[in-house]
Amino acid sequence: MEAGPLPGLGRPDPDPSGRPDGADRQAGAPPVLSPMLSRLAEERATGVLTRDRGVLYLVEGQVVHAESPATPGLDVLLTSRGALGSDGWWEAVSQAGAERRVGRFLVDSGRLAAGALELCHLGALYDAAFFTLGASSGPARFRYGVAHWIGPVRPVTVDAVERETLRRRALLHRIWPDPDTDTAELVRTGRAVDAVLPPRQRTVLDQVDGERTVSDISRVLGRPGFHTLVDVRRLAAAGIVTTRARTVECRAPETVAPPVSPMSPVSTATARAAQAAQASADPDVALLRRLRDALEAL
Amino acid sequence: MPGIDECLLEAMRLPGARGASVVDWTSGLALGTVGDSPNGDHEATAAEAAELARLAAEHKAFAPEEGADWSGGQPPVEDLIISNRDSYHVLRFVRTTFDSSVFLHLWLGRSDGNLALARIRLGEMAERLVVG
Repeated sequence: MEAGPLPGLGRPDPDPSGRPDGADRQAGAPPVLSPMLSRLAEERATGVLTRDRGVLYLVEGQVVHAESPATPGLDVLLTSRGALGSDGWWEAVSQAGAERRVGRFLVDSGRLAAGALELCHLGALYDAAFFTLGASSGPARFRYGVAHWIGPVRPVTVDAVERETLRRRALLHRIWPDPDTDTAELVRTGRAVDAVLPPRQRTVLDQVDGERTVSDISRVLGRPGFHTLVDVRRLAAAGIVTTRARTVECRAPETVAPPVSPMSPVSTATARAAQAAQASADPDVALLRRLRDALEAL
Repeated sequence: MPGIDECLLEAMRLPGARGASVVDWTSGLALGTVGDSPNGDHEATAAEAAELARLAAEHKAFAPEEGADWSGGQPPVEDLIISNRDSYHVLRFVRTTFDSSVFLHLWLGRSDGNLALARIRLGEMAERLVVG
């Protein structure tokens, strides 16, 4: 579901905001992620912007909170590793939720250090914003005056959020240009795992079971979604992890009757390549296949 | 209890401090910045420092003989020190009780900076930032 041009090399334009909304989309310049968001920032709006992959809360044109189903919320991040007991979290929500100052309450009541709250909340904000502003997002709507119960923690500008989102897309693209593993169910390829796989990647790999997606794994680990995305792209680049759909597609020629007409030229080619790969015990074929996949994804 | 800004301002009070930031080394995001940065762009500096921090955190070569296992999910490396002709950089990993990959980055002038003092203070700040 890749959409919009990705800046493949180098940094994205450091300031995409000075451009009229929606312009330059064809020109190879980074797209304005959300013309509506830029407008809301200009008019210093307060409320909540809803897109199909998440929500952004604004106060006077600045982003104060973001949530997306693709990445664990602050509650999961704070409670899953014991920074905060789940009782402590719910008590804070019930005590200070109505006044919309749960963040402040967590700090004032000594449950959490101010720095810990800011680091965790800010990380979660940029993370959820990354998914919310994803290229496949559909129409957006804005409800004025709505505030989130977490309350003010550390507001950031719309510019900063958009710039960071574009930078993150470029970062993922540099690691491994194929976005399929971002959303699909993941499987191990069976390729031998390097003994010195970095511990954070190994933790992610341990959760790959043929069913879970990146966002499932993030929730299980209580880890920001973008972090898992980065590790999974690295594992994909190393040929250790792929999508379940891709392995099914590759095995298809063995189990299914020879394709007659409905297959597209691309999948026929893939099937042939898969057959070739299986016909040969030479491990280089697997490498070549990954290389081909990467080139196709460019 | 200090937040990110208080922590960075405290770092800037160290002799010779030119700039400081809090950076996430998985994404390269600067979570907070203060003062100057070596190339005049805090965000670019953060992304570059993050790559260095990630390599140091992930490679076993830099871990202690015992305890390279990331107990508690935190990197076994405490800090990184880089010196050049006119400045020092100290990168201090922040140990949090939630899943994160954060470090403090302090840029110090070499002629007026005190590397030993900065290293100790930065360690204390990293702890206070998340423990309060």
